[in-house]
Amino acid sequence: MAPSAAFRLADVSVVYDGLAALDHVDLEIAPGEAVAFVGPSGAGKTTLLKLLNGTLRPSGGCVQVDGRCLGRRSERERRAVRAQIGFVHQDLALVPNLRVIQNVVAGRLGRMGLLRSLRELTFPPEATAEAVHATLERVGIAEKLYQRTDSLSGGQRQRVAIARALYQEPTALLADEPVSSVDPARARDTVALLARISREEGLTLCMSIHNLDLAREHFPRIVGLRRGRKLLDAATAAIADAQFDALYQLSAEELLRDGA
Amino acid sequence: MRAELRRPPPVGVRSAVVLSLLAAGVVSFFRLGLTWEQLVPGRDAFRQMGAFLAAAFTPALVNEAGAPPGTPPLLRQALDAAALTVVFATTALSVALVLGVGLGFLASSVWWSGERATARSPAARLFARVVAPAMLAAARTLIAVMRSIHELVWAILLLCALGLNDLAAVVAIAIPFGGTLAKVFSEMLDEAPRDSADALRGAGASRTQVFLFGLLPRALPDMAAYTLYRYECALRSSAILGFFGWRTLGYFIKQQWDVADYPEVWTYLYTLLALVLLVEWWSGQIRRRFVA
Amino acid sequence: MSTRRETVRELRRTRPVDRFARRSVALIALLVAATWLFGVLDLPALARDAFVDDFATLREESARAHANVTRFLGEVRPYPLHGRPWDTAVAARWATDLFVEGIPRFDIPSGFEAAWRTLAISITAIVMAGLAATLCAFPAARTFATPEPFLPGSDRISALQRRAWRAALLVARGLLVFLRSVPEYVWAYLLIGMLGISAWPAVVALAIHNAGILGKLDAETVENLAPQPLAALRGAGATRRQVAFVGALPAALSRFLLYFFYRWETCVREATVLGMLGIVSLGYALSETRIRQRYDDMLFYILLGTVLVLVGDLVSLVARGLVRRAS
Repeated sequence: MAPSAAFRLADVSVVYDGLAALDHVDLEIAPGEAVAFVGPSGAGKTTLLKLLNGTLRPSGGCVQVDGRCLGRRSERERRAVRAQIGFVHQDLALVPNLRVIQNVVAGRLGRMGLLRSLRELTFPPEATAEAVHATLERVGIAEKLYQRTDSLSGGQRQRVAIARALYQEPTALLADEPVSSVDPARARDTVALLARISREEGLTLCMSIHNLDLAREHFPRIVGLRRGRKLLDAATAAIADAQFDALYQLSAEELLRDGA
Repeated sequence: MRAELRRPPPVGVRSAVVLSLLAAGVVSFFRLGLTWEQLVPGRDAFRQMGAFLAAAFTPALVNEAGAPPGTPPLLRQALDAAALTVVFATTALSVALVLGVGLGFLASSVWWSGERATARSPAARLFARVVAPAMLAAARTLIAVMRSIHELVWAILLLCALGLNDLAAVVAIAIPFGGTLAKVFSEMLDEAPRDSADALRGAGASRTQVFLFGLLPRALPDMAAYTLYRYECALRSSAILGFFGWRTLGYFIKQQWDVADYPEVWTYLYTLLALVLLVEWWSGQIRRRFVA
Repeated sequence: MSTRRETVRELRRTRPVDRFARRSVALIALLVAATWLFGVLDLPALARDAFVDDFATLREESARAHANVTRFLGEVRPYPLHGRPWDTAVAARWATDLFVEGIPRFDIPSGFEAAWRTLAISITAIVMAGLAATLCAFPAARTFATPEPFLPGSDRISALQRRAWRAALLVARGLLVFLRSVPEYVWAYLLIGMLGISAWPAVVALAIHNAGILGKLDAETVENLAPQPLAALRGAGATRRQVAFVGALPAALSRFLLYFFYRWETCVREATVLGMLGIVSLGYALSETRIRQRYDDMLFYILLGTVLVLVGDLVSLVARGLVRRAS
């Protein structure tokens, strides 16, 4: 198994249309660490995750993966970095009219040439099918291997999305609100599953999450964001309830603006 | 509930469009010198029309008594004509599909966007600012020109250049149909959901891989349904090529109409109708399965 | 892990398969292969030619084709320039003459006249088709062709009434299918025989074919309208006709217009072609020049038609943009 990834953000800002989605953020994540990003909508959690796997370029500052700044790497190297970071998207981003096996195999595209990917996706060889089966087994839906993805339930689809990220053989897992598309019981299972897998394999895990209880239950470290700024970064046990309240409490001015 | 009870959208611009269309219609009508009297057929024409319509109920099934010896049976001729109609339509559409997919990819914005558009090296910037827009414009212009010349005009051009040749018929249909498929394919690709493509890019897939495995599958059902619809159109066009000498269904429709043998005209018309309806049923079945 | 291998094989064996889709794909592949090999290329004849006649036919044909193309390329050169080096001024004068005067000697209309007549034919036809389609869309829509549209079923509706409306629906749909299944070129050919030479056959042919297509598309649009506002109108006592024109039409108008403009683009192309049957337009000039083997003039009219179509596409693009933004 590959060693797990380390991330470091140094004075990173992201500006969309003149609005700062992230405002001079510093953050360090050690290999194998599990961190939850919490905060109200629009706090910059998704932006942060997209920076970590290099799909988004910072407007200022430097994002380091394993000690090297992404901005200084060539396109090829950046692709290689992305290929080793699994990402579970909020809307899952699966191809609904393909079979589960094809969606999962697509996770490893970054390590395949074009010809090989054509073969693996159209007529997956037996060895590939077995590897995908093993991955699906880890998320508990091995029997869905050859089903069409749009014939699955919401919870099952989410597991396909997780399997796709795992099939990348990643050194880190990023998950963007993996609980928003399923009911509360499933949400608990999903977070537990991701936490267990990362722990067992020593993967670095970063998850943006709305549900504070789940965050406290499964993550030893919590980073609180609000309006693009890091307001909180501490071990879970050391955080007082009042600090969470401050994170989520809206000022009167903000209430007025959001209502407008 | 509010959305449901809302009044229909405001009609200002749309009424203006409708009114100017009606005005354009009226102006065109008079500029063409059309009068309603011209539309009332004379007595002879009226009788002719009656005979033609009456023959709809009695399409011919065998050759007429006075047919010259050696004439193949009528239904055999109709089937042969239908077969040639299918041959031209199928081969032409297979060429058009290759053209359509190739040019459709090149004419879609998504093919040229992505990775390189955001990269920072000078070569990448040159590609994003100059090469990609130029190639996109070139592909779209080529498609517009292919589409703007009707298949029958292509047929005439090729007739003049090559003579009555099967390949000319195929090429004549394939060029404008290829252009139309390319235009519609590129629009479908541009409108397909991007989420899965973005996810694959995030997993390190190359530009081509993202396009083929993230984007194309999302547009594929629509593309297949549209291709089948164009096959229907190709059948009609192939039949009409008969008016220019190829022995498809149109050839016999024209021939029999010219000698006022209406029952036989209907035989060929019904054959064409049956072909088109068969394909329409088939594409309907496919659409029902794949395009939710 | 031989057990995993067996499990995967079993899963693969029992995977859901869409048989209809598979057979369709197989059929298409077969059809394409067969039509190429035995239809256009005529493989048996080609093989005979190759093995028995040592490609004699093929060589002869390609030589003939080459000669034909060379001849044709010479003939499409503007005739004042035949056998002379290219001179843009002369070519421009030739083109201007054609555009302004045509070829009076043969009664071939000027490019300008041919172009505007083509345009006028397409506009008249599509406006007629649009009006007819708007009227046909309602009886051909399932939601309207019922005894009590947008009202919950009532016991008072007799089976006879139900059947009558069902029949009306079928007649309307059947008519639309028939109208659009027969190509406009065939319609025009049949109509010229009856109505004589004027713009009418082209206009009527285009109008009925497009009415068939627009009628189908418009009927689908009407069927897909949100039923609640229409049911509300109906509940307030509106008649079927009122619901159609006050409720459904404004809601569906944008879609109707988008389809209308898409079909108009096609109409311009078709109007060019229908002229070849003898109706004064670009197509007429095209076929007349072709008969006289004046391929240079023919190419001029073809290119003029291309410009007309491109301009039409542009106008349609702008108009569709307007309609989209307004809705």
